[in-house]
Amino acid sequence: MDAVATAFGLILDPYVLMVMGLAAVFGIFVGSIPGLTATMATALLVPVTFFMEPVPALAAIVTTTAMAIFAGDIPGALLRIPGTPASAAYTDESFAMTKKGQAELNLGTNLVFSALGGLVGTIVLITAAPALAELALNFSSFEYFWLACLGLTCAVFIAAEEPLKAIISLLIGLFVATIGIDPAAGFPRFTFGIVDLMGGVSFIPAMIGMFAVSEVLRGVVNLQGIGRPTQERIGNIFRGIGPVCARYWKNFVRGSVIGTLVGALPGAGADIAAWISYAVSKRFSKQPEKFGTGHIEGVVDATSANNSSLGSAWIPALVFGIPGDSITAIVIGVLYMKGMNPGPTVFLQNPQFIYAVFISFILANLLMVPLGWLAIKSSKQILNVPRNLLLPIILMFCIVGSFAITNSAYGIVIMLVAGVLGYLMEENGFPVAPAILGLVLGEMLEQNFMTSMIKSEGSFIAFFQRPIAGVLGVVTLAIWGLMIWRGLRRTQPVPQ
Amino acid sequence: MRFNDAVIGVVLMLVAAAIVLYAQTFPAFPGQDYGPSLFPTVIGCALFIASAILVVRGIVTRRGAGWAYFAPWTREPHHVVSFALVLLALVLYILVSDDAGFLLSSFVILLTLFVWLGVRWPLALVVAVATTLVIDWFFGGLMRVPLPRGILNLIS
Repeated sequence: MDAVATAFGLILDPYVLMVMGLAAVFGIFVGSIPGLTATMATALLVPVTFFMEPVPALAAIVTTTAMAIFAGDIPGALLRIPGTPASAAYTDESFAMTKKGQAELNLGTNLVFSALGGLVGTIVLITAAPALAELALNFSSFEYFWLACLGLTCAVFIAAEEPLKAIISLLIGLFVATIGIDPAAGFPRFTFGIVDLMGGVSFIPAMIGMFAVSEVLRGVVNLQGIGRPTQERIGNIFRGIGPVCARYWKNFVRGSVIGTLVGALPGAGADIAAWISYAVSKRFSKQPEKFGTGHIEGVVDATSANNSSLGSAWIPALVFGIPGDSITAIVIGVLYMKGMNPGPTVFLQNPQFIYAVFISFILANLLMVPLGWLAIKSSKQILNVPRNLLLPIILMFCIVGSFAITNSAYGIVIMLVAGVLGYLMEENGFPVAPAILGLVLGEMLEQNFMTSMIKSEGSFIAFFQRPIAGVLGVVTLAIWGLMIWRGLRRTQPVPQ
Repeated sequence: MRFNDAVIGVVLMLVAAAIVLYAQTFPAFPGQDYGPSLFPTVIGCALFIASAILVVRGIVTRRGAGWAYFAPWTREPHHVVSFALVLLALVLYILVSDDAGFLLSSFVILLTLFVWLGVRWPLALVVAVATTLVIDWFFGGLMRVPLPRGILNLIS
């Protein structure tokens, strides 16, 4: 309990609260501007948090992302453009409600259920993470090898639309992760004598490139993209929320549970959580014909789901160092920079930091209601910020941010290359998330494989000899078998 | 810039082949069966196979479509310049910021982009100066990032 008290002390520090307040405003702003995503907000935040203590740094990321995922709903309802990809699943539904004169009810529902969904994800995080950490204390390199394999598999398995492109994206990420000194023998690979590359490709500049520079590139050729809000005056958003809660509380529970599960799986985050829960809502609704015509039911499911996924994505990130989504991929980078290497031992050595993350999640979701209300009230002003001013400023922040991580132009070079690569990948239908996962997990995979091989003196059987490793291994191989089988079945009818 | 899957596949196959071949030059260590070349080789081979499938699929599903598709904005010179300017700004910053310094590089880049993207001159000038100074104050001052001083070195 001591650690909990310490954590409260750490969070309730006026400086930390001020950082959270600023982060909340930043998150709402980024979330409500179409084309700026929660991941981009996190990547841009890292250079700023670089010099902070761990607690304010993590609290800032938690607050920014929670606010951004909610705020993405605002332009969805008012402009029919999702503010972040996480709101895309129900943008049409929300806009249809606005056209029916129900913008207030829609925004109120989005706000209340985003906060509630976020709290559900947080509760699961609080209960599951320490329990898993206890279990993970017994894990050795064999278990971690299989966990990394499972994590990578998830990224491909969930991107059911284009598994082949997801695999290629993953392999690109894994390859980039091999650049630099190799973890077993210390031999520099693919560095071509460039000293900067010895330490590997710097991760945060790569993320800034992939998620921010690529958006700037997309944005400058599409400046006229957003129109004016359909409805400029917003009335009382909390009217009619009571009946919605009473009628659709089951949808809220279901959406939050789906969101939490999807969030905890590696490689899938808020956007996929929203798509799945919206589809499930329609599938099991008593009135599926009303979906798409401005019906609140699916919105309740999906808006709860995307916020609940945020908290649970931290579970694998904190316990195993395997990111649950692209935001926590950055978080893992931040944890390493702060010397709190993710893994079960962090729960023993620095429990107060873990509890501080929990508390900041709760606080952020509670703060969301008043701040979200303010954001909705001032949505007209936020949405009117001219993009031709905003994009160059973002670009400058990217440059300075990447520079700050490496203290040299090397960071900017990485950012530029990653930005162009990310842009080309998205344009050609290659999902970026698997590449990020490959980049994060590549070293973990190789290191644990090499360690295991040395321990077992080159025998593969050892990977299945410990009980948990055996189960994880069999599950991984079974999923691979299933994927190959599915892939073969799918390719047969194609040549006509 | 959307390319047919076959085009991307061929490029990736070449990259994969290069990775695998280059990885064979990595030293093996005596007494250890698995050296630094193992992972790059496995990844390269997997990438080669996946890209080959992509090539086949691209050819099969092409049905007379072009090998590359250019989005409508690429036919408008103004947008093409906007796109190129962003990349150029980054390259230029990488090359000259050390000598020119952060203040000058940032101001020139911001002003050029603002004006090209249609911000009126007076506003562009004010925002370019203000943004540069705020970033310099926040990152250079508060966060102690050693932003390049460049031309400032000449005066002090």
